[in-house]
Amino acid sequence: MHELALAESIIEVVEARAEECGVQRVRTVHLRVGEASGVLVEALQAAFAMLASLSPVLAEARLAIEISPHRAWCEPCASSFAVEDFIARCPACGTWSTRILSGTELQILDMEVGADTQQGGHEQAHNG
Amino acid sequence: MPRVTIARHILAANEEVAAEVRQRLAAAGVRCINLMSGPGAGKTTLLERSVARLRGRLAIGVIEGDIETSLDAERMEAAGAQVVQINTRGACHLEAQMVRDALEALDLQRLDLLFIENIGNLVCPAAWDLGEDLRVVVVCTTEGDEKPAKYPQIFAAAQVLVLNKLDLLPYVDYDPERVRAQALAVNPGLQIFALSCRSGEGLDTWCDWLLAFAGKSSGAAVSEAPHAMGGAVS
Ligand SMILES: Nc1nc2c(ncn2[C@@H]2O[C@H](COP(=O)(O)OP(=O)(O)OP(=O)(O)O)[C@@H](O)[C@H]2O)c(=O)[nH]1
Ligand SMILES: [Mg+2]
Ligand SMILES: [Zn+2]
Repeated sequence: MHELALAESIIEVVEARAEECGVQRVRTVHLRVGEASGVLVEALQAAFAMLASLSPVLAEARLAIEISPHRAWCEPCASSFAVEDFIARCPACGTWSTRILSGTELQILDMEVGADTQQGGHEQAHNG
Repeated sequence: MPRVTIARHILAANEEVAAEVRQRLAAAGVRCINLMSGPGAGKTTLLERSVARLRGRLAIGVIEGDIETSLDAERMEAAGAQVVQINTRGACHLEAQMVRDALEALDLQRLDLLFIENIGNLVCPAAWDLGEDLRVVVVCTTEGDEKPAKYPQIFAAAQVLVLNKLDLLPYVDYDPERVRAQALAVNPGLQIFALSCRSGEGLDTWCDWLLAFAGKSSGAAVSEAPHAMGGAVS
Protein backbone atom coordinates (compact mmCIF):
# COMPACT_ATOMS: atom_id res chain seq x y z
CA MET A 1 0.00 0.00 0.00
CA HIS A 2 1.21 3.47 -0.76
CA GLU A 3 -1.03 5.71 1.33
CA LEU A 4 2.03 7.03 3.17
CA ALA A 5 3.46 8.29 -0.12
CA LEU A 6 0.11 9.86 -1.01
CA ALA A 7 -0.07 11.60 2.38
CA GLU A 8 3.48 12.92 1.92
CA SER A 9 2.57 14.33 -1.45
CA ILE A 10 -0.64 15.95 -0.16
CA ILE A 11 1.30 17.66 2.61
CA GLU A 12 3.93 18.89 0.17
CA VAL A 13 1.29 20.39 -2.14
CA VAL A 14 -0.74 21.94 0.69
CA GLU A 15 2.31 23.42 2.45
CA ALA A 16 3.44 25.02 -0.81
CA ARG A 17 0.00 26.49 -1.43
CA ALA A 18 -0.25 27.74 2.19
CA GLU A 19 3.07 29.50 1.88
CA GLU A 20 2.06 31.03 -1.44
CA CYS A 21 -1.09 32.49 0.17
CA GLY A 22 0.44 33.42 3.52
CA VAL A 23 -1.76 30.92 5.36
CA GLN A 24 -0.63 30.11 8.91
CA ARG A 25 -3.09 27.41 9.88
CA VAL A 26 -4.81 24.88 7.68
CA ARG A 27 -7.94 23.44 9.32
CA THR A 28 -9.34 21.11 6.71
CA VAL A 29 -8.03 19.76 3.42
CA HIS A 30 -10.72 18.64 0.97
CA LEU A 31 -9.92 15.75 -1.34
CA ARG A 32 -11.84 13.98 -4.05
CA VAL A 33 -10.79 10.35 -4.28
CA GLY A 34 -12.23 7.95 -6.84
CA GLU A 35 -13.67 4.68 -5.55
CA ALA A 36 -11.57 2.94 -8.23
CA SER A 37 -8.34 4.74 -7.39
CA GLY A 38 -7.20 1.96 -5.09
CA VAL A 39 -6.82 4.27 -2.10
CA LEU A 40 -7.66 2.96 1.36
CA VAL A 41 -9.30 5.94 2.99
CA GLU A 42 -8.61 4.84 6.58
CA ALA A 43 -4.95 4.22 5.81
CA LEU A 44 -4.68 7.60 4.11
CA GLN A 45 -6.33 9.31 7.11
CA ALA A 46 -3.91 7.60 9.50
CA ALA A 47 -0.83 8.44 7.42
CA PHE A 48 -1.96 12.04 7.02
CA ALA A 49 -2.64 12.46 10.76
CA MET A 50 0.83 11.18 11.58
CA LEU A 51 2.68 13.35 9.06
CA ALA A 52 0.54 16.47 9.54
CA SER A 53 1.31 16.48 13.27
CA LEU A 54 4.94 17.23 12.32
CA SER A 55 4.06 20.23 10.17
CA PRO A 56 3.53 23.64 11.83
CA VAL A 57 0.97 24.73 9.24
CA LEU A 58 -0.90 21.43 9.17
CA ALA A 59 -0.65 20.34 12.81
CA GLU A 60 -4.38 20.94 13.40
CA ALA A 61 -5.55 19.94 9.95
CA ARG A 62 -7.90 17.10 9.09
CA LEU A 63 -8.68 15.48 5.77
CA ALA A 64 -12.23 15.65 4.42
CA ILE A 65 -12.49 13.02 1.71
CA GLU A 66 -15.28 12.93 -0.84
CA ILE A 67 -15.48 9.57 -2.61
CA SER A 68 -16.48 9.82 -6.25
CA PRO A 69 -18.31 6.87 -7.80
CA HIS A 70 -16.87 4.90 -10.72
CA ARG A 71 -19.15 5.83 -13.63
CA ALA A 72 -18.95 5.60 -17.40
CA TRP A 73 -20.91 7.02 -20.33
CA CYS A 74 -22.91 4.88 -22.75
CA GLU A 75 -23.10 6.47 -26.19
CA PRO A 76 -26.09 4.48 -27.57
CA CYS A 77 -28.16 5.02 -24.40
CA ALA A 78 -26.93 8.59 -23.99
CA SER A 79 -26.75 8.03 -20.26
CA SER A 80 -24.25 7.19 -17.56
CA PHE A 81 -24.00 3.96 -15.59
CA ALA A 82 -22.15 2.56 -12.58
CA VAL A 83 -18.98 0.64 -13.39
CA GLU A 84 -18.75 -2.57 -11.34
CA ASP A 85 -15.35 -4.21 -10.75
CA PHE A 86 -13.72 -2.00 -13.39
CA ILE A 87 -15.92 -3.50 -16.12
CA ALA A 88 -17.30 -0.58 -18.10
CA ARG A 89 -20.11 -2.37 -19.89
CA CYS A 90 -23.52 -0.72 -20.06
CA PRO A 91 -26.00 -2.81 -18.03
CA ALA A 92 -28.88 -1.62 -20.24
CA CYS A 93 -27.55 -2.34 -23.74
CA GLY A 94 -24.26 -4.24 -23.27
CA THR A 95 -22.08 -1.69 -25.08
CA TRP A 96 -18.49 -1.35 -23.89
CA SER A 97 -17.64 2.17 -22.89
CA THR A 98 -14.27 3.85 -23.14
CA ARG A 99 -15.49 7.07 -21.59
CA ILE A 100 -14.94 6.96 -17.85
CA LEU A 101 -16.71 9.89 -16.22
CA SER A 102 -15.47 9.57 -12.66
CA GLY A 103 -14.06 7.24 -10.06
CA THR A 104 -10.32 7.38 -10.69
CA GLU A 105 -9.61 10.87 -9.32
CA LEU A 106 -6.85 11.69 -6.85
CA GLN A 107 -7.58 15.36 -6.45
CA ILE A 108 -6.84 18.00 -3.81
CA LEU A 109 -9.76 20.41 -4.10
CA ASP A 110 -9.20 23.17 -1.56
CA MET A 111 -8.44 23.93 2.07
CA GLU A 112 -10.22 25.69 4.89
CA VAL A 113 -7.83 28.00 6.65
CA GLY A 114 -7.86 29.96 9.87
CA ALA A 115 -5.77 32.59 11.58
CA ASP A 116 -3.22 31.42 14.10
CA THR A 117 -5.19 30.89 17.32
CA GLN A 118 -2.09 31.28 19.50
CA GLN A 119 -1.19 34.71 18.12
CA GLY A 120 -4.84 35.81 17.89
CA GLY A 121 -5.79 39.49 17.69
CA HIS A 122 -5.52 39.52 13.92
CA GLU A 123 -8.63 40.45 12.05
CA GLN A 124 -9.87 37.53 10.05
CA ALA A 125 -11.10 37.69 6.49
CA HIS A 126 -14.80 36.94 6.39
CA ASN A 127 -16.21 34.70 3.80
CA GLY A 128 -19.94 33.98 3.64
CA MET B 1 -13.94 29.65 7.55
CA PRO B 2 -12.10 31.01 4.49
CA ARG B 3 -11.42 28.56 1.72
CA VAL B 4 -8.38 28.54 -0.53
CA THR B 5 -8.56 26.72 -3.83
CA ILE B 6 -5.83 24.16 -4.55
CA ALA B 7 -7.17 22.09 -7.48
CA ARG B 8 -4.13 19.86 -7.96
CA HIS B 9 -3.50 16.17 -8.40
CA ILE B 10 -2.54 14.47 -5.13
CA LEU B 11 0.65 13.32 -6.85
CA ALA B 12 1.23 16.72 -8.46
CA ALA B 13 4.97 16.71 -7.76
CA ASN B 14 5.38 13.28 -9.35
CA GLU B 15 3.29 14.32 -12.37
CA GLU B 16 5.54 17.32 -12.95
CA VAL B 17 8.73 15.29 -12.82
CA ALA B 18 7.16 12.65 -15.08
CA ALA B 19 6.34 15.34 -17.63
CA GLU B 20 9.96 16.49 -17.49
CA VAL B 21 11.23 12.93 -18.03
CA ARG B 22 8.81 12.48 -20.94
CA GLN B 23 10.05 15.70 -22.52
CA ARG B 24 13.72 14.76 -22.17
CA LEU B 25 13.19 11.34 -23.68
CA ALA B 26 11.15 12.74 -26.56
CA ALA B 27 13.82 15.35 -27.26
CA ALA B 28 16.44 12.57 -27.42
CA GLY B 29 14.20 10.44 -29.65
CA VAL B 30 13.97 7.64 -27.09
CA ARG B 31 10.72 5.68 -26.66
CA CYS B 32 10.01 4.48 -23.13
CA ILE B 33 8.12 1.50 -21.70
CA ASN B 34 7.16 1.04 -18.05
CA LEU B 35 7.26 -2.73 -17.46
CA MET B 36 5.15 -3.97 -14.56
CA SER B 37 4.20 -7.35 -13.08
CA GLY B 38 3.86 -9.30 -9.87
CA PRO B 39 7.13 -10.70 -8.46
CA GLY B 40 8.77 -13.21 -10.75
CA ALA B 41 6.40 -13.11 -13.75
CA GLY B 42 9.46 -12.77 -16.00
CA LYS B 43 10.15 -9.07 -16.58
CA THR B 44 13.94 -9.38 -16.46
CA THR B 45 13.94 -12.57 -18.53
CA LEU B 46 11.72 -10.94 -21.16
CA LEU B 47 14.13 -8.01 -21.32
CA GLU B 48 17.16 -10.33 -21.60
CA ARG B 49 15.55 -12.20 -24.49
CA SER B 50 14.42 -8.99 -26.20
CA VAL B 51 17.86 -7.37 -25.94
CA ALA B 52 19.57 -10.51 -27.26
CA ARG B 53 17.20 -10.90 -30.21
CA LEU B 54 17.26 -7.25 -31.17
CA ARG B 55 21.01 -6.73 -30.86
CA GLY B 56 22.27 -4.64 -33.75
CA ARG B 57 18.71 -3.61 -34.72
CA LEU B 58 17.52 -1.75 -31.64
CA ALA B 59 19.60 -0.03 -28.95
CA ILE B 60 17.86 -0.87 -25.68
CA GLY B 61 18.51 0.71 -22.30
CA VAL B 62 17.10 -0.53 -19.01
CA ILE B 63 16.38 1.12 -15.70
CA GLU B 64 16.11 -1.73 -13.20
CA GLY B 65 13.91 -1.10 -10.20
CA ASP B 66 14.32 -3.47 -7.28
CA ILE B 67 13.78 -3.13 -3.57
CA GLU B 68 17.28 -4.53 -2.93
CA THR B 69 20.25 -5.98 -4.88
CA SER B 70 21.67 -5.29 -8.33
CA LEU B 71 21.13 -8.87 -9.52
CA ASP B 72 18.71 -7.91 -12.30
CA ALA B 73 20.98 -5.10 -13.50
CA GLU B 74 23.88 -7.54 -13.70
CA ARG B 75 21.73 -9.86 -15.83
CA MET B 76 20.81 -6.99 -18.17
CA GLU B 77 24.40 -5.85 -18.44
CA ALA B 78 25.45 -9.37 -19.35
CA ALA B 79 22.76 -9.34 -22.04
CA GLY B 80 24.35 -6.25 -23.54
CA ALA B 81 22.06 -3.42 -22.48
CA GLN B 82 22.93 -0.01 -21.08
CA VAL B 83 21.59 -0.36 -17.56
CA VAL B 84 21.08 1.63 -14.37
CA GLN B 85 19.96 0.07 -11.10
CA ILE B 86 17.56 1.80 -8.73
CA ASN B 87 17.14 0.33 -5.24
CA THR B 88 14.09 1.65 -3.44
CA ARG B 89 15.13 0.15 -0.05
CA GLY B 90 11.63 -0.97 0.77
CA ALA B 91 9.40 1.27 -1.32
CA CYS B 92 6.88 -0.77 -3.27
CA HIS B 93 6.92 1.22 -6.52
CA LEU B 94 9.16 3.53 -8.55
CA GLU B 95 8.55 7.28 -8.66
CA ALA B 96 9.36 9.72 -11.45
CA GLN B 97 12.10 11.38 -9.40
CA MET B 98 14.04 8.10 -9.28
CA VAL B 99 13.77 7.78 -13.06
CA ARG B 100 14.91 11.36 -13.61
CA ASP B 101 18.00 10.70 -11.49
CA ALA B 102 18.67 7.42 -13.31
CA LEU B 103 18.59 9.19 -16.70
CA GLU B 104 21.80 10.99 -15.70
CA ALA B 105 23.67 7.69 -15.91
CA LEU B 106 22.41 6.84 -19.41
CA ASP B 107 23.68 7.98 -22.78
CA LEU B 108 20.30 8.77 -24.33
CA GLN B 109 21.79 9.67 -27.69
CA ARG B 110 22.80 6.03 -28.11
CA LEU B 111 19.37 4.60 -27.25
CA ASP B 112 16.25 3.85 -29.28
CA LEU B 113 14.17 2.28 -26.54
CA LEU B 114 14.26 2.56 -22.75
CA PHE B 115 12.61 0.00 -20.48
CA ILE B 116 11.87 0.79 -16.88
CA GLU B 117 11.48 -2.47 -14.97
CA ASN B 118 9.19 -1.54 -12.10
CA ILE B 119 9.15 -3.22 -8.67
CA GLY B 120 7.50 -6.66 -8.73
CA ASN B 121 4.07 -5.61 -7.46
CA LEU B 122 0.62 -5.63 -9.10
CA VAL B 123 -0.88 -2.93 -6.89
CA CYS B 124 1.18 0.18 -6.24
CA PRO B 125 3.10 0.94 -9.46
CA ALA B 126 -0.13 1.69 -11.34
CA ALA B 127 -0.59 5.08 -9.63
CA TRP B 128 2.83 6.54 -10.50
CA ASP B 129 3.48 8.05 -13.90
CA LEU B 130 7.20 7.63 -14.63
CA GLY B 131 7.27 9.59 -17.87
CA GLU B 132 6.83 6.48 -20.03
CA ASP B 133 5.10 6.40 -23.43
CA LEU B 134 3.53 3.02 -22.80
CA ARG B 135 2.77 0.60 -19.97
CA VAL B 136 3.22 -3.14 -20.34
CA VAL B 137 1.98 -5.62 -17.72
CA VAL B 138 3.39 -9.14 -17.62
CA VAL B 139 1.47 -12.08 -16.15
CA CYS B 140 2.54 -15.72 -16.21
CA THR B 141 1.00 -19.16 -16.19
CA THR B 142 2.22 -20.04 -12.68
CA GLU B 143 0.50 -17.23 -10.83
CA GLY B 144 -3.16 -18.21 -11.32
CA ASP B 145 -5.53 -17.12 -14.05
CA GLU B 146 -7.53 -14.56 -12.08
CA LYS B 147 -5.00 -11.75 -11.91
CA PRO B 148 -6.81 -9.24 -14.17
CA ALA B 149 -10.03 -9.64 -12.19
CA LYS B 150 -8.24 -9.43 -8.82
CA TYR B 151 -5.93 -6.51 -9.70
CA PRO B 152 -7.98 -4.62 -12.30
CA GLN B 153 -6.35 -1.26 -11.72
CA ILE B 154 -2.99 -2.11 -13.22
CA PHE B 155 -4.60 -3.81 -16.24
CA ALA B 156 -6.83 -0.78 -16.76
CA ALA B 157 -3.78 1.49 -16.66
CA ALA B 158 -1.75 -0.50 -19.24
CA GLN B 159 -1.85 -0.60 -23.03
CA VAL B 160 -0.15 -3.96 -23.52
CA LEU B 161 -0.41 -7.32 -21.73
CA VAL B 162 2.24 -10.03 -22.03
CA LEU B 163 1.25 -13.54 -21.00
CA ASN B 164 4.53 -15.34 -20.25
CA LYS B 165 5.65 -18.92 -19.47
CA LEU B 166 3.41 -20.60 -22.06
CA ASP B 167 5.85 -23.55 -21.94
CA LEU B 168 4.49 -24.42 -18.49
CA LEU B 169 0.84 -24.71 -19.58
CA PRO B 170 0.88 -28.55 -19.54
CA TYR B 171 1.81 -28.51 -15.85
CA VAL B 172 -0.58 -25.92 -14.43
CA ASP B 173 -4.32 -25.29 -14.28
CA TYR B 174 -4.31 -22.07 -16.18
CA ASP B 175 -6.74 -20.94 -18.86
CA PRO B 176 -5.16 -18.26 -21.07
CA GLU B 177 -8.53 -17.46 -22.62
CA ARG B 178 -9.93 -16.69 -19.20
CA VAL B 179 -7.10 -14.24 -18.54
CA ARG B 180 -7.58 -12.68 -21.94
CA ALA B 181 -11.33 -12.23 -21.39
CA GLN B 182 -10.84 -10.75 -17.90
CA ALA B 183 -8.16 -8.38 -19.10
CA LEU B 184 -10.22 -7.17 -22.06
CA ALA B 185 -13.24 -6.70 -19.77
CA VAL B 186 -11.37 -4.13 -17.68
CA ASN B 187 -9.53 -2.70 -20.69
CA PRO B 188 -11.10 -3.40 -24.11
CA GLY B 189 -8.23 -1.65 -25.91
CA LEU B 190 -5.50 -3.85 -24.43
CA GLN B 191 -3.05 -5.40 -26.89
CA ILE B 192 -2.08 -8.94 -25.88
CA PHE B 193 1.02 -11.03 -26.57
CA ALA B 194 1.34 -14.64 -25.41
CA LEU B 195 4.84 -16.06 -25.31
CA SER B 196 7.45 -18.14 -23.56
CA CYS B 197 10.82 -16.67 -22.71
CA ARG B 198 12.05 -20.23 -22.24
CA SER B 199 10.96 -21.88 -25.51
CA GLY B 200 11.09 -18.67 -27.54
CA GLU B 201 7.52 -19.16 -28.74
CA GLY B 202 5.86 -15.83 -29.50
CA LEU B 203 9.06 -13.81 -29.03
CA ASP B 204 9.40 -12.96 -32.73
CA THR B 205 5.96 -11.32 -32.76
CA TRP B 206 6.83 -9.42 -29.60
CA CYS B 207 10.21 -8.25 -30.95
CA ASP B 208 8.66 -7.15 -34.27
CA TRP B 209 6.18 -5.12 -32.33
CA LEU B 210 8.99 -3.53 -30.22
CA LEU B 211 10.80 -2.55 -33.42
CA ALA B 212 7.66 -0.96 -34.78
CA PHE B 213 6.96 0.80 -31.50
CA ALA B 214 10.46 2.29 -31.54
CA GLY B 215 10.00 3.33 -35.18
CA LYS B 216 12.68 0.92 -36.40
CA SER B 217 10.67 -1.68 -38.29
CA SER B 218 11.07 -2.13 -42.02
CA GLY B 219 7.55 -3.47 -42.52
CA ALA B 220 4.14 -2.60 -41.17
CA ALA B 221 4.20 -4.99 -38.25
CA VAL B 222 2.47 -2.54 -35.98
CA SER B 223 -0.92 -2.86 -37.64
CA GLU B 224 -0.83 -6.65 -37.40
CA ALA B 225 0.02 -6.88 -33.75
CA PRO B 226 -3.12 -5.60 -31.98
CA HIS B 227 -4.92 -8.39 -30.14
CA ALA B 228 -2.56 -11.00 -31.58
CA MET B 229 -2.28 -14.05 -29.34
CA GLY B 230 1.00 -15.63 -30.36
CA GLY B 231 1.71 -19.32 -30.23
CA ALA B 232 -0.23 -22.35 -29.19
CA VAL B 233 -3.02 -20.78 -27.20
CA SER B 234 -6.19 -22.69 -27.91
N1 LIG C 1 9.52 -21.94 -17.49
C1 LIG C 1 9.70 -20.64 -17.68
N2 LIG C 1 10.33 -19.90 -16.73
C2 LIG C 1 10.48 -18.58 -16.96
C3 LIG C 1 10.01 -17.95 -18.14
N3 LIG C 1 10.30 -16.62 -18.06
C4 LIG C 1 10.95 -16.46 -16.88
N4 LIG C 1 11.07 -17.62 -16.23
C5 LIG C 1 11.68 -17.86 -14.90
O1 LIG C 1 10.91 -17.20 -13.90
C6 LIG C 1 11.76 -16.75 -12.84
C7 LIG C 1 11.54 -15.26 -12.58
O2 LIG C 1 11.91 -14.54 -13.75
P1 LIG C 1 12.43 -13.04 -13.71
O3 LIG C 1 12.67 -12.65 -15.11
O4 LIG C 1 13.54 -12.88 -12.74
O5 LIG C 1 11.14 -12.33 -13.16
P2 LIG C 1 10.93 -10.79 -12.75
O6 LIG C 1 9.54 -10.43 -13.10
O7 LIG C 1 12.01 -9.97 -13.32
O8 LIG C 1 11.08 -10.89 -11.17
P3 LIG C 1 11.26 -9.67 -10.09
O9 LIG C 1 12.15 -8.65 -10.73
O10 LIG C 1 11.87 -10.35 -8.92
O11 LIG C 1 9.87 -9.20 -9.83
C8 LIG C 1 13.19 -17.07 -13.27
O12 LIG C 1 13.56 -18.28 -12.67
C9 LIG C 1 13.06 -17.25 -14.79
O13 LIG C 1 14.03 -18.11 -15.32
C10 LIG C 1 9.35 -18.76 -19.12
O14 LIG C 1 8.88 -18.32 -20.17
N5 LIG C 1 9.21 -20.09 -18.82
MG1 LIG D 1 13.31 -8.62 -12.39
ZN1 LIG E 1 -26.15 1.43 -23.13
